[in-house]
Amino acid sequence: MPSDRYLEVPLVEKQRLFDEVKADPRFHTYLYGCYECGICVAACPSARFYDFSPRKIAQAAAREDLELIYEQMNDDIWNCSQCFSCNRCPRQNSPGGLITIMREVAVKNGMRSMKEALAGYTRIIYKIMTTGTQVSPDMLQEDAFPDWGPQVKMVSDNLDLWRRALPPETLHTTGLSWQVEERTMQELYAIWKLTGTLDMISEVDEGLHDIMEEIMDDALEESGISVD
Amino acid sequence: MAGSDTVLIVGAGPGGIEAARGVADLGKRALLVETKGDIGGTPYEYYATLTPDLRETHEAMHEMVTAVKEHPLIDLRLNTRVVNSEGEIGHFKVTLQDESGSRTEEEVGAIVVATGFQHFDPGRETQMYGYYEYDDVLTLVDAEQMFKAGRIVRPSNGEVPERVAFIQCVGSRDRQIGNQWCSKVCCGIASKQSIEIKRMLPNAKVFIFYIDMRMYGFWEDMIYWKAQEEYKVNYIRGIVTEIIRKGDKLLIKGEDTTMGRPMEVLMDMVILSVGMEPSKGTLEMANIFNLPREEHGFIATKDGGPLDTVSTKVPGIFLAGAAAGPKDIEDTVSMGGAAAMKAVATLNRLALEVG
Amino acid sequence: MEPMEIPVLKGGTKVATSRVFDRDPDTVPEEDLREAIWALGREGEWIVQPVPEPYYLAPTKYGRLKKIPLEHTWHHKSCGQCGHIPGYSTSIFWLNRLLGYDYFDPRDQTSCTAWNYYASATSNQVAQAAVAMRNFSAAYESGYFPMIHCGTSFGHYKEVRHELVHDAKLRRQVRAIMDKLGRPFVMPEEIVHYSEWMYAIRDELKNRVQYDLSNITATVHPACHYYKLQTGDAIYDPEIYGGQRTAAVTGVVQTLGATVADYSSWYDCCGFGFRHILVQRDFTRSFATLRKIEVMKEEANPDVVLTHDTGCVTSLDKSQFAAQAHNRNVGVPVMSESQFAAIAVGAHPFRVAQLHWHSVDYRPLLSKMGIDPEKAWMEFQGDLEQIKSGAMDYLTWEHVL
Repeated sequence: MPSDRYLEVPLVEKQRLFDEVKADPRFHTYLYGCYECGICVAACPSARFYDFSPRKIAQAAAREDLELIYEQMNDDIWNCSQCFSCNRCPRQNSPGGLITIMREVAVKNGMRSMKEALAGYTRIIYKIMTTGTQVSPDMLQEDAFPDWGPQVKMVSDNLDLWRRALPPETLHTTGLSWQVEERTMQELYAIWKLTGTLDMISEVDEGLHDIMEEIMDDALEESGISVD
Repeated sequence: MAGSDTVLIVGAGPGGIEAARGVADLGKRALLVETKGDIGGTPYEYYATLTPDLRETHEAMHEMVTAVKEHPLIDLRLNTRVVNSEGEIGHFKVTLQDESGSRTEEEVGAIVVATGFQHFDPGRETQMYGYYEYDDVLTLVDAEQMFKAGRIVRPSNGEVPERVAFIQCVGSRDRQIGNQWCSKVCCGIASKQSIEIKRMLPNAKVFIFYIDMRMYGFWEDMIYWKAQEEYKVNYIRGIVTEIIRKGDKLLIKGEDTTMGRPMEVLMDMVILSVGMEPSKGTLEMANIFNLPREEHGFIATKDGGPLDTVSTKVPGIFLAGAAAGPKDIEDTVSMGGAAAMKAVATLNRLALEVG
Repeated sequence: MEPMEIPVLKGGTKVATSRVFDRDPDTVPEEDLREAIWALGREGEWIVQPVPEPYYLAPTKYGRLKKIPLEHTWHHKSCGQCGHIPGYSTSIFWLNRLLGYDYFDPRDQTSCTAWNYYASATSNQVAQAAVAMRNFSAAYESGYFPMIHCGTSFGHYKEVRHELVHDAKLRRQVRAIMDKLGRPFVMPEEIVHYSEWMYAIRDELKNRVQYDLSNITATVHPACHYYKLQTGDAIYDPEIYGGQRTAAVTGVVQTLGATVADYSSWYDCCGFGFRHILVQRDFTRSFATLRKIEVMKEEANPDVVLTHDTGCVTSLDKSQFAAQAHNRNVGVPVMSESQFAAIAVGAHPFRVAQLHWHSVDYRPLLSKMGIDPEKAWMEFQGDLEQIKSGAMDYLTWEHVL
């Protein structure tokens, strides 16, 4: 069934986005064809809570149904929990892997759905790209996790002290998960620059991109690593 | 030089039996070799009734089995295996070995390989069907043993099952396992078995979980419609991905793809419709006779096409039945006849060339 | 109403059938990537870092034996473990020290950055492979062999390895980046998860167990990214569920003497979802409680939930608070098997296992194991007082072993 949503978006644009998905080198190992056995749906956590079906993701891509794929890139792909339970597909498709690619294309093209899905997420991207560690101890704040109960506040109130009460020396940190050498971070920045990852961020959040670019350029200049 | 006037037939299932009968009826000597102690092959040994007509197997096959045993031109060697072959068309020198290990050499002019299939071992499935975890998960073959015994009960507790599910395509149509073929008969056998269960246990609910139901020709109304219309078997489109014990029942998880939602239901017994793979004997014969295998692993026919289903790539060697790929009994027996005809024609042609 | 003891079926991982599966080695469906890795090494495509001796040979899904190094390991830490459940990593290190194994806790290590891949998709194939290979080269240059703490990092690295083996263009791209960083291009012979090491040392641990665990019932949540990504490379043991489910965690817990109870949603994901745990937590909470914890409670009534990945501990532990507030049938402590095992062999529940970072009340579990939780907490409070007063800068290894 072709989608009747997003009729205002021209077909050539939908074709362009799908071509980008299909051009990814991972695509041909993530999709063969679909005979609708439903194994992926039965194993999928997101299918139990959302109107979401990994089978439809695989089938739409297999049919090259541009209208439906575009609809999925807007309305469905961010519901996936990326657990890869769907990798049990007897045709050896990976609907979760297809979604990884579709999300990357949505990010690179600044799709509206991506901006909604990643709203409130910029701090996390900043953390991981600039420090090389995500989920730092100081992220545990009660206003961010009100549903996790009073224990979160206990951690944040005692954070400095409790971190000092950790025997591994590398864990005496609050802003990073562990102590990361300066050189290590510089090398990570070089990877983001050399692989176009930093560029991807400008579609998510221009301001975030500019801040990170400044940090990384300064650090790289100091490091002597060439990223040309 | 004229070749031997004997055709060797390896394997005495329906295909081999029909080939031996054909060779003998056409006036040549048939040397029929079978590793087991009796003839009849996989259906005769394991299946209580035949698909699609539900006739009792031993009764239905009685005529062909007796004919082979009594035919003067058929030399039947039970408990015997082919262990070596040399030579070529018209002059194959084949070494046979009996139970006691003693060997004899026979010269034969042509060969029919009818070594068949084996059932897929569900220990290799990549879902979570728990055949090696729970007694109440069975295969089609296990179910046939119950039909033979005339009693359908849950192996775990001996009670009569109220809800029975079949899961199709176990070990077939599966790239993860490496079996990228449909085994052709499992849809029919599961439907046949569901009718038998309903005949024996009219109050049981029987479900068949499937991807596509494949029952061609007359099998459509003989078993599929019959199961649906007369026996109210529930056909549900969608394959089960996991079976797990819940209390004393089996919880099965899948998607009802018609409804488009995940589904979890309790069953008393689950029957896995295990598919076909080349038998060990088929693989051994491919080695001994240097027969190339086709891409799925079965023995290849000469050109792989639909116009010659029995000639192999080696002149003078022919195939009958599931050694060449998944086959139902109709096809197997038809191939037996075709292989016999071509084998005898080979001997005749060699004799003419000499004359 | 008084709480009711629900009977638990013992021997939960023993199969309920006499059938025994015997795998024909000719039917293994996957290629052995390790052969391809060595072949690429011989062709000069990369340096292969061999697994150091002594190693343990563990059975994997299709019967291949996987080399698990016992020591000389380079600990690829997990950002979530170190950040929010630091007793997880501390217990792994502590067990190494207890057994006298040589290991290295590096600072020249980044996370796998798979958060940027599975959660926000703000990365790409080449970047992820480069991050992995940078870490591998750092391990190689240190002389220690990588041991991956996080299930997601482990699964992701297995994926990356698969892509690198099969894609010459990707290898060239990543190698060019390593050249720019002045680093060697190195692939370890095996990618090893710490829970595989736990499995390898389970008998060593068994001999050191300090408490009677026979009345402790655990349910195990196998982590999706441990065994659903690149399924062939995960530990399966014929003794555990007939070799039909991964034996990681379960094999260790049973060897320690506790009972592992089965439950019908064992295969389900924990609901972590990466994005979801941070910005769409209604999904995570619902899944973690309705599909996991409540099912475990109903069917097995465990004393503890044990798992082997960062995200799973977090979602299964933290999600219970809101459900408890709604009087749902939840309330089981959650931790890694490394923490549970460390406590079982004598580690301090707060100084080492750092249980105060966990949400659900773990005191009943400790009491049932034979540990006085209040006494242990006072001891730890004493440490904190010393740090506060300046008598001690940090809690040190000398203090806890």
